[in-house]
Parts: sequence; C-alpha cells; structure tokens
Amino acid sequence: MAARLFKGAEYLITEATKDDVFTPEDFTEEQRQIAHTADQFVRDDVTPVLDRLEHQEPGLSAALMRKAGEAGLLMIDAPEAYGGLALDKATSMLAAERMGAAGAFSVSYAAHSGIGTLPLVYYGTEAQKDRYLSKLVTGEWSAAYCLTEPEAGSDALGGKTTATLTPDGKHYVLDGTKQFITNGSFADLFTVFARIDKKHFTAFLVERSTPGLTVGPEEKKLGIKGSSTTSVIFEGAQVPVENVLGEIGKGHKIAFNVLNVGRFKLGAAVTGAAKLAFRTGAAYANARKQFGVPIARFGAIQEKLADLTAGIFAAESLVYRLAGLIDDRLATIPKDTAGYYEAYQQGIEEYAIECAIAKVFCSEVLADVVDEVVQIHGGYGFIQEYPAEKYYRDERINRIFEGTNEINRLLVPGTILRRAMKGELPLQREAMKALEGLMTPSLDELDPSLPFAAERAVLGGLKKTFLVVSGAAVQRYAEGLKDEQEVLLALADVAIQIFAIESALLRAEKISPRLTESLRADAAAAVKVHTFAAVEKIAAAARRAAFYVAEGDTLTVLLGGIRRYTKYDATGLLPAKRRLAAAALESERYPL
Amino acid sequence: MPLKLLVTVKRVEDPESRIRARPDGTGIVTDGVNYKMNPFDEIAVEEALRLKEKHGGEVVVASIGGAAAMVELRAALAMGADRGLLVRHDGALDPGVGSALLQALVAQERPDLVLLGKQAIDDDQNQTGQMLAARLGWPQATFASKKESLESEAEQKKQPGVVLAADGGRALVVREVDGGVETLDVALPAVVTVDLRLNKPRFASLPGIMKAKKKEVREIPAASLGVELAPAVVVRRLFDPPRRQAGVKVADVAELWTRLHAEAKVL
Amino acid sequence: MSNVLVVAEQSRGTLRKATLSALTAAREVARRTGGTVSALVLGSGAAAAAEELAAHGVAVRLADAPVLAHPLAEAHAPVVADAARVAGASWIVTAATAYGKDLLPRAAVALGAAVATEVLAVAGEGAEILLRRPMWAGNVIAEVELRGTVKAFSVRPTEFAPAARAPGGSVTPLPVSVDAASLRTRFVELQEVKSERPELTDARVVVAGGRGTRGDFGPLSGLADDLGAAVGASRAAVDAGWVPNDWQVGQTGKVVAPELYVAAGISGAIQHVAGMKGAKVIVAINKDADAPIFQIADYGLVADLFQAVPALRERLKAG
Repeated sequence: MAARLFKGAEYLITEATKDDVFTPEDFTEEQRQIAHTADQFVRDDVTPVLDRLEHQEPGLSAALMRKAGEAGLLMIDAPEAYGGLALDKATSMLAAERMGAAGAFSVSYAAHSGIGTLPLVYYGTEAQKDRYLSKLVTGEWSAAYCLTEPEAGSDALGGKTTATLTPDGKHYVLDGTKQFITNGSFADLFTVFARIDKKHFTAFLVERSTPGLTVGPEEKKLGIKGSSTTSVIFEGAQVPVENVLGEIGKGHKIAFNVLNVGRFKLGAAVTGAAKLAFRTGAAYANARKQFGVPIARFGAIQEKLADLTAGIFAAESLVYRLAGLIDDRLATIPKDTAGYYEAYQQGIEEYAIECAIAKVFCSEVLADVVDEVVQIHGGYGFIQEYPAEKYYRDERINRIFEGTNEINRLLVPGTILRRAMKGELPLQREAMKALEGLMTPSLDELDPSLPFAAERAVLGGLKKTFLVVSGAAVQRYAEGLKDEQEVLLALADVAIQIFAIESALLRAEKISPRLTESLRADAAAAVKVHTFAAVEKIAAAARRAAFYVAEGDTLTVLLGGIRRYTKYDATGLLPAKRRLAAAALESERYPL
Repeated sequence: MPLKLLVTVKRVEDPESRIRARPDGTGIVTDGVNYKMNPFDEIAVEEALRLKEKHGGEVVVASIGGAAAMVELRAALAMGADRGLLVRHDGALDPGVGSALLQALVAQERPDLVLLGKQAIDDDQNQTGQMLAARLGWPQATFASKKESLESEAEQKKQPGVVLAADGGRALVVREVDGGVETLDVALPAVVTVDLRLNKPRFASLPGIMKAKKKEVREIPAASLGVELAPAVVVRRLFDPPRRQAGVKVADVAELWTRLHAEAKVL
Repeated sequence: MSNVLVVAEQSRGTLRKATLSALTAAREVARRTGGTVSALVLGSGAAAAAEELAAHGVAVRLADAPVLAHPLAEAHAPVVADAARVAGASWIVTAATAYGKDLLPRAAVALGAAVATEVLAVAGEGAEILLRRPMWAGNVIAEVELRGTVKAFSVRPTEFAPAARAPGGSVTPLPVSVDAASLRTRFVELQEVKSERPELTDARVVVAGGRGTRGDFGPLSGLADDLGAAVGASRAAVDAGWVPNDWQVGQTGKVVAPELYVAAGISGAIQHVAGMKGAKVIVAINKDADAPIFQIADYGLVADLFQAVPALRERLKAG
C-alpha cells in the first residue's frame, strides 16, 4: 500500500516519493507464481501452435482459451461467487504482460478476459452472471466485444445498429453490422452496443446461437494473423430483454469505462511483447557476425539495445505504478455493498488519464522495439523465416485499437483541463506559481552526491513546463482549447513523458537498496538513458506548443522557461548506455 | 487403498539461466540467476498427483534447504500437493546426507511410495533416491518412464505411469534403461526416481496457487533429525569447462568427408 | 587397503564395452594410490563376459547365480558390497550407464561409501585423488573430494579410453548369498528398443536435426542408418512436435558425448549445446553462416542440409 493515495493526474502538480509507487519488485510470491503459470502456458501451449494459429486452424483459439481457463488465467478479474478469484489489478496486469508474449493469442486473450468479460462483471445482474460468467472464467465459452462499426471507429458512439422492442415486450430485435470484432469467429458470447429506438445507446449480451446473428469471413490483416477478426451481422436478431446489460441508455458508460481497463491492460500486454522481441534482438546481435566480429560489439547496435532497455524499464515502471494506484483506490471501497461496482468503476475512471498514458507510451515503446529489432537483423529482419518480421507486423495494431493513440493523446490534456475547470485539480493555481517562478532567478544547486539528483531536479522543472505551457494554452484559447488538437497533442506528449520519467525514477529509488551493486548501477543507467531521451521529447513538444499558442513577449518568456525547466545534466550518458547494452547482451534478454 | 506419497522438491538454478563458475572457483555466479523447482522433481510431483487422483490419498512434498526453498514447496502445493515439510539446512548437502535426512522423514511420515527426480539439475548427482532405498531397505525403481509418448491419449488423460496392483501392495514401474524399457514389479513401500519421459507436469493453476497459501508447511531443523550433517562429497573447486574452439569451415561435402575420414578419423 | 574394484556390466554373457573405460579409470586410481585392480562380473550365465574382461589383464570375480539374472539393484548391491570386502577395496568404480547409476549408490550405502557420478577425469596429485565431474548440465566442472574410508565413482565411458587386451587376467568365482525369496523387486520384462539404431546416449555417432529440417527428418535418418548412428534433435524440433521427446539433446534432454556429432539445421542455442558439447568431433551443417553452432563445430559446412546430407551419404557409399 502506498504512503499516500494520489488522485488522477495529480502527479503533474505534486511531488511523489518512492513510497508512493508500486513496482514489479513488490510482487508477492503468489503473484510471481501466477506470472510463471502464464509463462508456462505461453511456452507449452501457445508457442508450439503459433504457426497453426497463424493459418487460422479451426477450433484452435477456442481450445487454447479453454486451456487458459483450466490454468485459471481467465479468473483473475471475476468475483469468487462466479468461479473467479477477484485478484487485484497488479496481478491482472502481470498476467496480461506475460500473455503478451503469446503473439496473436495475446490479443484473443485480452479481448476475452478484458473487454469481453469485464462489462458482465461490472454491470451484469446476478442472473446474467450466473448464466454466463462461470462459463467465461473457465474458457468453456469465449467472449467478444462489439462496439466498432464500419462508420463508427474512433467515433465509438456513432454506430447505427438498432434495437427495437418486440410488441410482446420480451425481446429486442437487433439490426446492424459490427466490424473488426476480435474473437468473432469463435466467440460464444458477444457484448453488443446498439441504440434502442435509434436513441438510447445500450449494451446487450448476445449468444452466438441467436437466430439472425451471423459472423462474417476472417479479415485478411497486416498482423496478428493468428487472432480472429470478423464482422458480426445482426439481421432481426432477437435478444431477450433479460439480456440488456446495465441500464438502458447508459451503454456509453460501459463502453468507455471498460476501455479504461482495456487500455491499461494493453499497456501491460505490449510490454510483454516488447520483452519477447527484445530477446530476439539481443540474441541475434550476439550471434550475427560482420567484419569478423559479432555485431553486438558495435556501438551502433549497443546504443539501440540500451535505448530499448531503458524504454521497457520505463514502460514496466509506469504500468505497475498505475496498477498500484488503482489497486490502492479500489481497496478503499467496502466490498459486498450494493454500489460496489459503481464505486469500483469510479475508482478506475479516476485514472482515465493514466490509463490512456499507459496505452500510448507502452505501445510506442513496443513500436520502437520491434522496429529496431528488425533493424538489428538487417536484411534478415525483412525475411519471414526470422521472427522479427512477425513482431513488426503484429505490433502495428496496438497503436490503433483500444482507441487510436491520437484519441488517447487527446484524452490526456482534455480530461486534465476538464477536471481543472471543475475544480478537481488545482491546475491554475500551480500554473500561476510556475509562471511566477519564471520571473525569479534559479537558486537551486544540484548536490551531485545524492543519487538521482539530476533527475529529481529536472522532474520538478518538467512539471512546471507542463503547467506553464498548458496555462498559456488556456489563456489563449480558453474553453476553445478542446478543439485545438495540435496543441492538445503537444501537451499530451509532455504529460505522458513526465509520468514515464517519474515512474522509472521512483521505481529505481525504491528498489535500489535491495539490489546488488551491479543491478543498482543498471537501474540507474536505465533511468539516465530514459530520462535523457524523454526530456528531449518534452522540450520539443513544449516548444511546439509554445509556438502554437503564443507570440511576441509571451512566446519569448515561454521559450525561456522551457529552456530553463528542461535542463538536464546527463553526464555519464554514454557509459550508462554501454552498461545497459552489456547487461542486455550478457543475458540476451531485457536485463532488469 | 488410499496412498501416502512423499515427494522431494529441490530448489535449483533455473536451467534457462546462464550458469558459470566464479573466477575464484568457490561457487557459481548467482547474479541474475533465477531459481525454480528441479524439473525432474516437478515430474515426480505430477506423478504423485496423478496417483492420488486415481487412488486417493495424500501427497506430502519435502524439501531440504534454506528458507528460500519454501518458494518451491509452495509451487508444489500450488500444483496440488497437500502439505509440505521443509528440513531447514543451510550448509552444503550431498546425496549421503540428503538421503539420511529423507530417511528420517520417512520414519515420521511412513509413506507407501517415495518419489524423487532421478537427479537434481544443479549437482547432477543421480544418487539420492538409490541411497534412500538402500538405507530403508526398500526396493527401488529408478528412471521411471512410460511406454506411451507424451503426446499419447493416456498422457492427455493424465494417467499415472506407475501402475498399482489391485491389492495396492505392489507397483509396476516402467523404467528407461540403456537400449530399451524395462518393467519392474516392486513391493510397496518403495522408492521411485523419475525420468523426463514419465509425464508432462501440469503447471499450477491460479486457484491452485491461491489455495497453496493456506496449506500447511512444517519446518524441521535438520539438526533435530539425528543425522550426521557433514557431507562426504566435498566440492574443492569449480571451473568453466574448456570452451570448444571453432574449427574450420569446409568448402563442400567432399572436403567434409576427407577431413572426417583422414584427419579426425571418425568415419 | 587402497585396492580398486571395477563393477562390470554384462548382458547374456556379453561384456559391455563401457566397462573397459571404467577399468582404465580404475587403473589410474590404483597407479596413484598403489593398490591393485580387480573386477566383479554379476549375472547368471555370465562366464563368457568374465573371461572377456579377464582377457584385459584383470583379476575377475564372477558372481554367477540365477538370482542375479536380471540387473536388479536390490539383488546386485549386496554382492558388490561383499566383493568389495573380499577384494579389500577402498575404491569402487563402474561405468555411468543406466545399470551403473542405478546400482552404485545403493551398493555404496552398504559400504558407507561416498559416491561421485559421471566422472570425466581423475585429478589431484599423488595419492590424493580428486574427481572431475560435470555439474549444471556440464556448464561447470567440479573437482570433488570423496571423504571416508571407502569411495565410489562412475565414469562417463566417452571420457576414458577402453582398456586394451592384456595377459595376466584370471576368473575366480564369488559365492552369492542373496536369497531370491527375500527380494521385493521382480523383473517383469525388458522391451528392447525396436529401432536398429543405438541408444542416443550410447551411440558412437549422433546425427541431429533442428528447425532447419522443417520437420523432415528423412535425410538425417538415412544418414544415421548409414553410419549406425542414433538420431537426436534440438528442442525446437521437439517442441514443434516433429520428433519424439526422447530424441531431445540438450540441457533438459539427453546429454551425449559421442565420437561424432552431426548437427544439421541446428542453430546452436546454449540449451542444445549444453547437451552435446562433450562430443569429440562436431560437424555443423547450416545454411546460415552466422549460426552460433559454427562457433563450437570442428567442421562447419555452410549449406542446405537437404542437399548436403544426401551428398554426404553418396560420398560415404563411395567409401
């Protein structure tokens, strides 16, 4: 349990300490065993059949889902009364991360256990849970989530599927087409969103056997070819009224709340995928010889491995910090109360910003990893016989689904500003302070003898950067800022990178006393390498925003402030990179 | 007849970890090394669980080692074993001492069958089961295996490889020997050590892991068992094996044959 | 009393060759400690094996009795203990075969002896004998000391040259006092492997395939038949379900040390190398010139195995 419970986005205005964060090193023995079970499942049951999955062997995905169910991997988030284990989010993320190494099946798993199952857990009636949940947690049934339509992608609520009550009042008749439905070809239960009387956006639980429900052919995809993606077509599909999920007209709550968890889980899953791809890259660097030596000897390769290691370290730190935040908040809700899941939802909603950050940051770390792993392979990276090629293709979807990275980026400053305006976040007061700070000369001196002194110093400055620039943006556009997407995207980059830098830093501070000297130095190197790269990104994004929102003297003051607040003394950067690369090459895996 | 099964569980270095000797030869480099249950012991636990599922009874898992060995005991409990015994012993252990400590546990527990991995993948001794059987004066069946492949239907149905006679007093054990498979018929109580091909161990399910937390593990100080704890197999020094030097690349099959024939003289 | 007793292995009167490697190791110990070497042959109708062993210049005691017909440790161990006492042996040596590994630790308990298994070399200085043996699947070599008055070890046959024939041997019978009725182990059957091929761990030549076979082990099996070799596989090939589990060579599979190991289409992952790096001569055939297997191979051929292996078979036939 953290020392104090941070609110959503509070990290931007409050200094957190190492005792405020949960880290992967804090896992209990049971959680490690659960991770091990997931590893074994991937290694023994999934990896050997990946090729067969890739060719869409009928029945294989459903069989794997049942095996995942036997292993208990589908029980994590479900309540005990329905055969679940009601474990915390940290465990759920840990399992998702390990399953992230399962290639396309990772996507099937996430769709089933996340967006496929959670709406029922959170909003289902007892009767609905009795009927369906126990089948989903064992894997006897697979689940799919049907929100997207041909003309409603990012505009998730813009779907045209309709639901009409039959004259006898016993059924809703669903008509419409859902598209890009993961697990479509084999799912037994679909959570479908439709508008009742073309108005009230509502969720329905629809069984596969429902007459009028047909599943379209498999889409031919760029990547994750081993997962099933189909359209699901409703032509007069009669769904019993008992199968309305949640309240009529409140479907958007379900759609969006479940996406919070989905995004967060995706952050964990892609981190697992990144670790897998990294192994391949590190091993190849050791094995491949050019100019008579392994290419691992070259700085050009080492720098890639170092940068990727630092990125994965940050992604991991960020995901589990968020898991800790959510778990701590959920733990304050008394169980067995009527409004439990309502409060639970609000608890997760509190961190909608961090969930979006996890999705964007981690998926982009994976993108960097697979790209460089292909690059490390040179020409072989382009050849299908080597796994790098598949990692590269499989990665791409992660920046698109669960809300494109653009949608998620917009959501970050959008939500922050909305909360600030509602008075939930004292952003304006802090922005004023930061602005005043700009007018006074800096007296802070670094004490280089303190560990992470430079990172601590710059972190404070980065937060001020966000405050100053977003303050200027609000001043310029006021409420209209929500429509200035270029500005919002720039602000998002600043906020995202700050969360990542701080998460990695706090984790390193927390775990360092427990590490051997060598591992401690590795962690410090990861923090330095990551901080340097992230500060550069923040400075660029902040300057971009400054030019968008200001001119004349204001612009000059802003740019001066950005320059001052993004100063980072990265002395020792090259040795830090070489150290990380050496650790990665020695172990041929993500070394931390 | 319900069976009482005692299974050994040793904490060893993960075979996926890179193992090398410390430069001073006093041990191995443990930085970055993970630990897990000896894979052969995992097979022994699986066999015991299958026997229990078929015949009823109790599976007791035992480990000798430091406090950390609790992790592997919990892992065995998570697979489905009923309770654990941890003989606390922090010093060096050899098969002689190990088998003597196990003999003392057998005296306390009185199992029908003791199952052990044929060897631990750290010291690779392959002695403890045989020595335990000798100390107890029990029959032994080492390197237990199975005739069916690990892809067979029997394996899918998780049938035990060790077949008990109807009266429960004897067991048929198929064992891997050089050049074939031998079947032995041993009177119980007996000691069985298991080989790789006996079964494919289940992994702990999540409910199993959660239940294991509540299962009993009794700690027993090694010194309390009345066994001489000084090892008789003493490792004086460890070193990395000489690295094989890369040889030559041959141009074609003809050169390969010539070299193998005339130079290496292996063809 | 620092005599050395070799426990031989025979089957239906035929001496197993691994015993001659144990004899070599025993002589090395005796040379250092100043003792004499004798040997023990156990079985029923095993006289021919005893004579064959004696023809290598060693005094053989033959324990020949129906109760020893099958290689049951429960029956054989007390005879080994008796023979050790009779021979005044403070060292017992056998080959690290399935029989030796099963029997030796059981016999050692009766003698209060410490045991080292899979010994690769006899080290130490003078009368102080240290034994080198692999640990962690051969990733580390240990030099161990055995304490106590009686010591025992098994040797990896591939690491000691078989003793040559020599005069001066003899065979004397050893009375067997094991009571068949007291045995609680019964031999049921031995199902010999139908394969014409030798046991993987025993074979002089091993031909192994990996991912590069793409599931087609046909050419490799043909080469193995030509060479009288066993067939092995990498974990990748086993995991892919192409070949049975017991073909796996590696840290979690079998550890082999043949005279010749042909790795075709195997990249050479550490896991695999741990199981075969003890081979005398390693040949690697792989179309990827950068495969790590070439770093440990004595002879590397960069080629497609589907062309190179049939060509090699042709060349072999040509002689």
